[in-house]
Amino acid sequence: MAVAGPGKERGAPATRVTGGTGIVVGILLAVGIVLPLLVPVYDSDAPRLGGFPFFYWFQLALIPVVSLLTVVAFRLSLRSTDKERESVGLPPRKDAEGDR
Amino acid sequence: MGNVNGVELAIFLFFFAVVTVLGFMAARWRKGDSLDSLDEWGLGGRGFGTFITWFLVGGDIYTAYTFIAVPATLYAGSVVGFFAVPYTIVLYPIIFIFLPRLWSVSHRHGYVTPADFVRGRFDSKVLALAVAITGLLATMPYIALQLIGIQVVLEVMGIGGGSDSTFLAKDLPLFIAFAVLAAYTYASGLRAPALIAFVKDTLIYVVILVAVFWLPSQLGGWGHIFDVAQQSFDAFNKDNADAIASGAAAAKGSIPPPVAQWAYASLALGSALALFMYPHSLTGVLASKNRSVLRRNAALLPAYSFLLGLLALLGFAAIAAGVTVDNPQQAVPALFDKQFPDWFAGLAFAAIAIGALVPAAIMSIAAANLWTRNVYKAFINPGATAKQEATQSKLMSLVVKFGALVFVLGLDAQNAINFQLLGGVWILQTLPTIVFALYTRWFHRWALLAGWAVGMVYGTLTAYNVPKPGEAGSHFGGPLQVIPFTDTKGYIALTALVINILVAVVLTLVLRAVKVGEGVDQTRPSDYVADSGDPGVEEVLVGEPGTAPSGG
Repeated sequence: MAVAGPGKERGAPATRVTGGTGIVVGILLAVGIVLPLLVPVYDSDAPRLGGFPFFYWFQLALIPVVSLLTVVAFRLSLRSTDKERESVGLPPRKDAEGDR
Repeated sequence: MGNVNGVELAIFLFFFAVVTVLGFMAARWRKGDSLDSLDEWGLGGRGFGTFITWFLVGGDIYTAYTFIAVPATLYAGSVVGFFAVPYTIVLYPIIFIFLPRLWSVSHRHGYVTPADFVRGRFDSKVLALAVAITGLLATMPYIALQLIGIQVVLEVMGIGGGSDSTFLAKDLPLFIAFAVLAAYTYASGLRAPALIAFVKDTLIYVVILVAVFWLPSQLGGWGHIFDVAQQSFDAFNKDNADAIASGAAAAKGSIPPPVAQWAYASLALGSALALFMYPHSLTGVLASKNRSVLRRNAALLPAYSFLLGLLALLGFAAIAAGVTVDNPQQAVPALFDKQFPDWFAGLAFAAIAIGALVPAAIMSIAAANLWTRNVYKAFINPGATAKQEATQSKLMSLVVKFGALVFVLGLDAQNAINFQLLGGVWILQTLPTIVFALYTRWFHRWALLAGWAVGMVYGTLTAYNVPKPGEAGSHFGGPLQVIPFTDTKGYIALTALVINILVAVVLTLVLRAVKVGEGVDQTRPSDYVADSGDPGVEEVLVGEPGTAPSGG
């Protein structure tokens, strides 16, 4: 994840440890990536919903769920991006408030 | 098929003619100084905000892939094809993570292609060349998938196709559609698909909404549709029990069997990782205004995935409607033909065909720019003028389309989804060089090159050796193969990527130990988080996508 990498190399960001917010963003995104890939969890016909087998409605239901996780991650990332910018010597973003 | 329906054909031809005229007129739309520079030919508009980026990037998802290839797999009882849904779910968290960094470094240094970034980061024209060539190669089967979409629609309408007709009568309509596409792309550049996209999206939204909400109600509701599909698969499995046991036929189903679970997950993950390595996807990304546009889009784009999922299920709806076609690709067009009034079916077919033309044009332009910038200008003619560059790109856009045609004629067109998956096998091998490099320069450039080469060779050979079901000795029959040292099947692209990374890691350790030159990195840490408004960040990439870099 984009949270904390090695990164002492020349050319790479000196540090990307962006504190708690960065870790939360990483976890939210990780859930969004890993959960849809856990096929055994939802690989069954029952229980049905509105005629849809579980296999199908679960995946369709994942779409808004993961989207929501990404929205939350987006909001949080704006804050952690500011910290990241500070750590590489960039000024705070001018339009930072407009994004929220 | 045979019988041509006059109303259907007239409506289809009407829209096709409108689009063709638009395509040629596009050359004059918001005209710049001259189309003789890549700047003009290669990108007709710029500085895209959240809305247009959503539209541009999302437009790449609604292609022939959505209407033809994915529902075809479900119709054929190969439920693994529904991986398209988790693929478009996990895609967005993934792009959320790395695309903003690529955006930043590209806008700081004027990089226009992923190969530009690789060259700047690793100081290696050769590694950049590998990335560029891979992009060119992988785009071809993706375009081929679009051409197949057009071909299938033509066949269902009764023109072209048919095994008893001569070669000319069979493929002529496809060649005509293809020649028209090539001609106006050549003449108008990216303006053509941009202008046509308005028509395309309007038609497609109408068709999709009717298809996924009205059609199922006509067929007894989704519950009934699932039941009928499952009954038909059960009947097939019973009738063909011997063939299935001997491996000559594949069992059908509407829920993946446990052995297919990793195949399903690996196809989803591999496709998601691959999508934004394609040159045409990155064009839309780099043209967006700032980092937040990208991240906001990562949260908004999943709206497309939902409709994609319902469209895929039309494969089952076709079964419930009693559609019987030998070529599963025809399932959805045949369903429209059967259930819709003639005029609306004609409109739906036009939507599918135009929906295939637009991405095909964008893909060929993006691939051509990769050629011009990272092969022609880097190796053949470093002092090329703007006009020479534009000429190169125009010619290359034709070459790429002809390459796609070779795939159409050479591979099994019954299974067009494999085209997209074969492209994925190749393009995914550039991931370590591009994505890892956004975070670390630990990897050695020659180790990355070796990993890429091993991944390419392994992936291609393995895909080549997959036979089509029931045809021993045939080739390129599918995207799945047993993972070495296991007995589980997985997506070849992902297995090749793992081997690729292992080679890159081991060789990096070796090359660092013997201190082989690493080259000079042009980029600085702050480049990767820079946003619009920061010093040195170009609001618009000059020459995007394709002219000379404007310097760091």
